[in-house]
Amino acid sequence: MSRRIGRVSRWVDDLLHDRSPRRFGGAEEDAEVLAAAIELQSASPSAGLPDPQFIESLRQRIARETQGEVPMSTRVSRRTLLAGGGLAVATAAAGVVIGDRLASPSTAQKELLPIGASWTAVAHLSDLPEGTARTFDTGSVRGFVANRGGAIVALSGVCTHLGCVLQLNATARRLDCPCHNAAFGFDGTVLFKHMPDALPPLPKLESRVRDGQIEVLTV
Amino acid sequence: MDMRPQPGEPGLFHVIDGDRPLDWERVYRDHVASIYRLLYLKVGNQHDAEDLTSQVFLEALPRLRSSASGGEIHTYLVMTARTTLAGHWRRRLGVQVTTIDESLVSAEGQAPPAADPLPRIRRILAKLPPNYRRVLELRFLERCSVGETATRMGISAGNARVVQYRALQRAAELGQEVGA
Repeated sequence: MSRRIGRVSRWVDDLLHDRSPRRFGGAEEDAEVLAAAIELQSASPSAGLPDPQFIESLRQRIARETQGEVPMSTRVSRRTLLAGGGLAVATAAAGVVIGDRLASPSTAQKELLPIGASWTAVAHLSDLPEGTARTFDTGSVRGFVANRGGAIVALSGVCTHLGCVLQLNATARRLDCPCHNAAFGFDGTVLFKHMPDALPPLPKLESRVRDGQIEVLTV
Repeated sequence: MDMRPQPGEPGLFHVIDGDRPLDWERVYRDHVASIYRLLYLKVGNQHDAEDLTSQVFLEALPRLRSSASGGEIHTYLVMTARTTLAGHWRRRLGVQVTTIDESLVSAEGQAPPAADPLPRIRRILAKLPPNYRRVLELRFLERCSVGETATRMGISAGNARVVQYRALQRAAELGQEVGA
């Protein structure tokens, strides 16, 4: 019995130090004990949160090993990946538009689009009654459009925590993150979260209504 | 049971789809965090969770076709995670210490439930005798070493290992009684 106690203790030590536990023979006797230790380990505050460096290095490995691609410095950066892929670029681009309008009133009526950005129709206004939201996906950008008292809001569809894809919860009128039990309102603000990390609000995307179509600025 | 599609065997998503390539970066971005978390909760350490997550994506991505829906992709990734985890335990300890529930595999279009594990853990701890609860709290919640745990409980290190072992045995029994 002392042999079993000793090896389980070493195994738990490895687990608690986030190391790969050493293998040992005769583990079937203690399989349930090991499973209980694994479950208790999930009570740790950082349990199940992937390291951003790991996410990026695996992305590069997949590109190399399955796609035959050579990672390039121009590819999406880790920060952009976590912020929601092209969405961060789109909102940065939208900032340029606003800045230009403020700086030069004579061009206020014109549409100043950053190079490469374009308006993409994502929904019919008639399909978006007040108080509702819909998902959209332009290929480069995935997000939500919401009708808040007649004002149309377009939001990034990716959680600002670790980049999980948000799910529309129409009943509760919110956007749920399935990974760590967090939710955002239709205005992008954080409604609740269950992780110690700070959770920024969802980035807004530049949007407009043209001929009954809701359009979003994408790059 | 090895559920993995074998080479040459039609995979789940070998669907005629023209020449449109899979947007693998998006599939990866959309699913990596949830697959990692799913695996972490089954192995309990970062090293193995990263290793298994890598195996899942390296194996599954080349087999996915762009015609697959988000739900189908998710199902395939969870199915791959299930067989990858089974292989991990077979090689490591020769026994399936944890498994991925079949219901997750068939859950169409849904990410793995983000069920917070803490309420269940609290229920289990609450039912343990005080010294068993104490040893597990010190080890797993306060991250104390065996030596620190022994000192704080006023027992020897050897005794702390015995109490920890008995506490884990009892926690495993209670886990079955407490339910999900």
